Amino acid sequence: MKLLVCIKQVPDMESKFKIGADGWYDRQDLAWRMNEYDEYGVEQAVQVKEQTGADLTVLCIGPEQVKETMKKALAMGCDRGVHIADDKSHLKDSYEIASIIAEFARDKNFDLIFAGMQSQDRGSAQVGVMVAELLGLAAVTTVVDFAYADGKVTVKRELEGGVKATVEVGLPALVTCQLGLNTPRYPTLPNIMKAKKKELLSVPVADLHMAARLQETVKIEFPEKKGGGIFLEGEVESIADRLIGILKAKTAVLA
Amino acid sequence: MIGGPPSAVFVDGKVIRMETVMEFTREIYWNVGHGAATLAPMYLFTAVALAVLVYGFLRRLKIYRLGRPIERTDQPLARAAEMLRTMLLQTRVLRVTGPGLAHALFFWGFFLLFIGTGLIVVQADFTDLFFDYVFLKGTFYKIFSVTLDLAGLIAIAMLLGLLVRRWVVRPPGLESKSDDVIMHGLLLTILVTGFVIEAARMAVTELDTPLAAWSPVGLAVAKLMAGTSPELLLDLHKGLWWFHLLLALLFIVLIPSTKLRHIVTTGVNAFFADRGPTGKLTTLDLENEATESFGAAKVTDLSWKDLFDTDACTSCKRCQDRCPASTTDKPLSPMQVIARIGEVAAQNPEASLIEAVGRDAIWSCTTCRACQDICPAGIEHVGKIVEMRRNLVLMEGEFPGEEVMTAMEQLEVNGNPLGLGYASRGDWAEGLGLSSPAESDILYFPGCYGSFDKRNIAVAKSFVSLCQAAGVRVAILGKEEKCCGEPARKMGNEYLYQTLAAENIATIQGYGVKKIVTTCPHCFNTLNKDYRDLGLDCEVQSHPDFLADLIAAGRLLVDGDPFACTYHDSCYLGRHNGIYDSPRGLIELAGGEIVEMAKNREQSFCCSAGGGRILAEEKLGSRINVKRAEMAAATGTNLLLSNCPFCLTMFEDGVKGAGIEESLKPRDIAEVLAARIQA
Amino acid sequence: MKILLVAEYRQGKLLDSYTELLAFAGLMGAESGMVAMFIAAEAAGPLPKFNGRLYLAEVSQVGEYNPEMHKQLLLDVVAKEQPEMIVLAHSSYGWDLAPRLAVALRAAQISEVVAVEDGLLVAPMCNGKLRRTMKSRGKMTVATLQAGAFSLSGEAAGVPTVVAVGGATSGKVKLLGYESAQQGGVDLTKAEVIVSAGRGVGKPENVAMVANLAKVLRGEYGASRPVVDALWVDHNRQVGTTGLTVAPKLYVACGISGAVQHLAGMKKSEFVVAINTDRDAPIGDVADVFAVADLKQLLPVLTEKLQAL
Repeated sequence: MKLLVCIKQVPDMESKFKIGADGWYDRQDLAWRMNEYDEYGVEQAVQVKEQTGADLTVLCIGPEQVKETMKKALAMGCDRGVHIADDKSHLKDSYEIASIIAEFARDKNFDLIFAGMQSQDRGSAQVGVMVAELLGLAAVTTVVDFAYADGKVTVKRELEGGVKATVEVGLPALVTCQLGLNTPRYPTLPNIMKAKKKELLSVPVADLHMAARLQETVKIEFPEKKGGGIFLEGEVESIADRLIGILKAKTAVLA
Repeated sequence: MIGGPPSAVFVDGKVIRMETVMEFTREIYWNVGHGAATLAPMYLFTAVALAVLVYGFLRRLKIYRLGRPIERTDQPLARAAEMLRTMLLQTRVLRVTGPGLAHALFFWGFFLLFIGTGLIVVQADFTDLFFDYVFLKGTFYKIFSVTLDLAGLIAIAMLLGLLVRRWVVRPPGLESKSDDVIMHGLLLTILVTGFVIEAARMAVTELDTPLAAWSPVGLAVAKLMAGTSPELLLDLHKGLWWFHLLLALLFIVLIPSTKLRHIVTTGVNAFFADRGPTGKLTTLDLENEATESFGAAKVTDLSWKDLFDTDACTSCKRCQDRCPASTTDKPLSPMQVIARIGEVAAQNPEASLIEAVGRDAIWSCTTCRACQDICPAGIEHVGKIVEMRRNLVLMEGEFPGEEVMTAMEQLEVNGNPLGLGYASRGDWAEGLGLSSPAESDILYFPGCYGSFDKRNIAVAKSFVSLCQAAGVRVAILGKEEKCCGEPARKMGNEYLYQTLAAENIATIQGYGVKKIVTTCPHCFNTLNKDYRDLGLDCEVQSHPDFLADLIAAGRLLVDGDPFACTYHDSCYLGRHNGIYDSPRGLIELAGGEIVEMAKNREQSFCCSAGGGRILAEEKLGSRINVKRAEMAAATGTNLLLSNCPFCLTMFEDGVKGAGIEESLKPRDIAEVLAARIQA
Repeated sequence: MKILLVAEYRQGKLLDSYTELLAFAGLMGAESGMVAMFIAAEAAGPLPKFNGRLYLAEVSQVGEYNPEMHKQLLLDVVAKEQPEMIVLAHSSYGWDLAPRLAVALRAAQISEVVAVEDGLLVAPMCNGKLRRTMKSRGKMTVATLQAGAFSLSGEAAGVPTVVAVGGATSGKVKLLGYESAQQGGVDLTKAEVIVSAGRGVGKPENVAMVANLAKVLRGEYGASRPVVDALWVDHNRQVGTTGLTVAPKLYVACGISGAVQHLAGMKKSEFVVAINTDRDAPIGDVADVFAVADLKQLLPVLTEKLQAL
């Protein structure tokens, strides 16, 4: 059985963002990490690998620095890595990204593909499903529970209002992972050491990039602080008093 | 007394009579017989007993050999000197006065009796037998006799005292096993029979002689036997003599297999003590690809010294009494950790150490060193716990809770466990006029809390203002600084620690830094000790020492504005680095009158955040920081001064937990001094 | 402009989110009367109210979750109507279906739209810390709308012309059933005052502080997703896109940074108070009052003072 997990390296969301010169956020002074949703994907893929003995490839598109994040995926248990080298991946749209991945995967016959439900920086939630569509695979999104047995995958989708839907799908298939799907493991030291030796091939993006861009980002900016918000600062006692005053004046809650 | 050779008595040059002068001495082997009938069995039994002793230790040697090699035999003379000092002066035992004094006196008494018996053997079976040389006579013998009598009396008194303590007073947590019954019973019997034997002899040979006074205890007992018939006394004496000998040999035989082994192991353990920097952990070689396992999962992963430690333990529970986790109902007892390791090593070396000791116990440790510091047997508790943590983290990816795993991930991503963007690490210092590292006198290493935590940023700013008042040019690494790695290391994540350390060292060396000052004892201890293994060689100083130097040099002037306070010795400046006086000096200079807590200096009680536990939630037992806040409140002062960001954070929380935040304010020494800078 | 709106039907009900799609269409200046709608619904259930064509498929035939089938039926409608935009809610249904349409149509997809500016679509980025304005390059665009970002002023009205659609059932994905979160008896959507705990509470013990304040204000306590994921609070108190959408009279966000998903669940509250040590937290965008303080210090004081009133 062959598995693929797609990951993305994103900035840590605690970072202070600045607008960059190329119309994206400035990449300086940012801390980088694996997209949180993808961590659940890697963990689930590794669990399936442990269950079935399958071969697991991790794929990531981006500049040279994303290899650090790929090493974490390898240390969690992926067998090999494919790095699609692209310094401008952040300027490509979801469709281009998806078609690059699909181009790579097209002849590889993966039985199961894992992806994060969305990325923390763009949050478009498109690439995973688009890859499935381009490859003609069944896809299920927003998975918070996963089980594989006898060629069938049974998942629970997380819907709004705390509702979950149980869905069954056969292989080959693609699933996109929601937060809380599992508890991503902390890589053990022997696995970190082994990861350094695992195959990590770099493929130039030009070899796989054939799709045209369908949309463009006109600008990125900071959201306007919706004005009108009163700021209360200073000693806690005084804040509490002022707040109570405002609640009395502006709401009926303390009547 | 014995009659010497007859000598002539002269009057007016003429011998009037021959007199036998009575010598102050006694006949060794009196009544027992000095011939082969005595010597042969005596030496035979002794040889057997010694053989059993040696064999017993050889068997235990097999257990110690299960452990990994470790270098603890360098500087043998210094080590031997330390061992003799510890044993003969009972220095570590005496650190707890009550039972410590009782044991010391008992030990000295028994030791003197042992030497005395040795001297008797030397004379009776060697010098007298082969060379007719007798030295146990005259004044020497008088001193010898009274010394041994008093020694025996004191030994019995102390032993009885210890017996009462163990079985009548019953201090909580003191376990008594069959070993203890054997030890107390056997030793008491040996001592008492010794006196009865002496008394029986004196009752026949020494009553109403001047020598008797030199064996006062024997004399008193002999008087009680005065009415008994001489035949009975002779039989009693001879029988008890052989009984006493057999008991003494039994004592020797039992040494390897009971707690009596501490006579050998505890003393020897002092020889094998760690003579390196206090509390320095072993730096794992993570490059070696042949290493299959990290940390301690089995006894074979510990060192032979670790296993020897388990034999040196006498279950005195001094460690447990001082452990902050033990005394707040957490399942960690340092004594039990050692006991479990010993059991596994002796009975089932293939078993999992971690299962035997227990995960909750392993994770509860704050590495405060109170256990190791007080242990009279020189046992090293902390290293074993960290080795087990290393196994859990590095081999299993296990942590005490998800919050700790998250903190580790944050350390990897942002270089601080708080999850804040690394790029803003230096923002606290904006506008303070700091220099660049190339143009500074010192590199100030505030650490994660000093850089990101609001309460501790105030301390960092205070420190900077003190430096600037003294004309010291200060630089920080700002966003280039990463966590020193200490909490990760103490939690067992050696890999993450070495990664962070390597980055910090490269940055520091890249700037050609000559001197680093820290306001965090954990950073101080790590940079000044742990980082040396990884190549850091510049000077590192903690802020109380640095500020004290500035004041001594007249560069920093501070007004003495009187106030009362108490002072908390942090574990990492105190027990780990012996820095107790410079902070007190600073406080006094600032006008502070320190009302010491009961547990101060080496006996200080941990705030709970060490051992990487600053990253974890305290879920078991009662809160350590609340307990310490209450100890501070008991001094009656309103100010709790400390020198560590973890302690400060714990105390701010602790005073709230104890409901005393109005009456007890936690402050760092730097803040107090900064408020008193002379204008 | 012609827009195709895709409504969502689940557990036997038409979801009200279709009105948000209508509001958006209005903003985009869709040809009135030409707005078409697609829904997989039982013919007998209540229909969406608007004026236009309603393409209606039978749910018992096509299923509530059957992405390939839904995609195919939609593509048939698109082929007939040739809309310029296809709009769905950014929901577990919408983000599952939209990319499939986008690929099939080679159309750009713009997700989680929160605003329209000069005809361009705006969506949040990086947890709401940034926003992105986007433009499609093709003739057709697929868009998903953030929950609650657009709302109709007034009630939806109208009666559509119904056109039945259907086809041979197919699909590799099978919906087996639904399960609801354990109902603890509390219904946050009915509370007039909600005080919510975010990551800033730090420890599970501190949730009590939040609950106490809620009690004193005669309301309920809720939580953001990280607090629920950490199991400090029940899932049925989670406010946000994957939890509940609430609109109380007073919403107090304690130690909540204001991630997009959370804001979507509470920004329709009448009065919002934020308590956070970070003045720049995105919760400030929706807060009427922002108390820059540590909730662990402010909450006890505030609760005490309120009790004394």
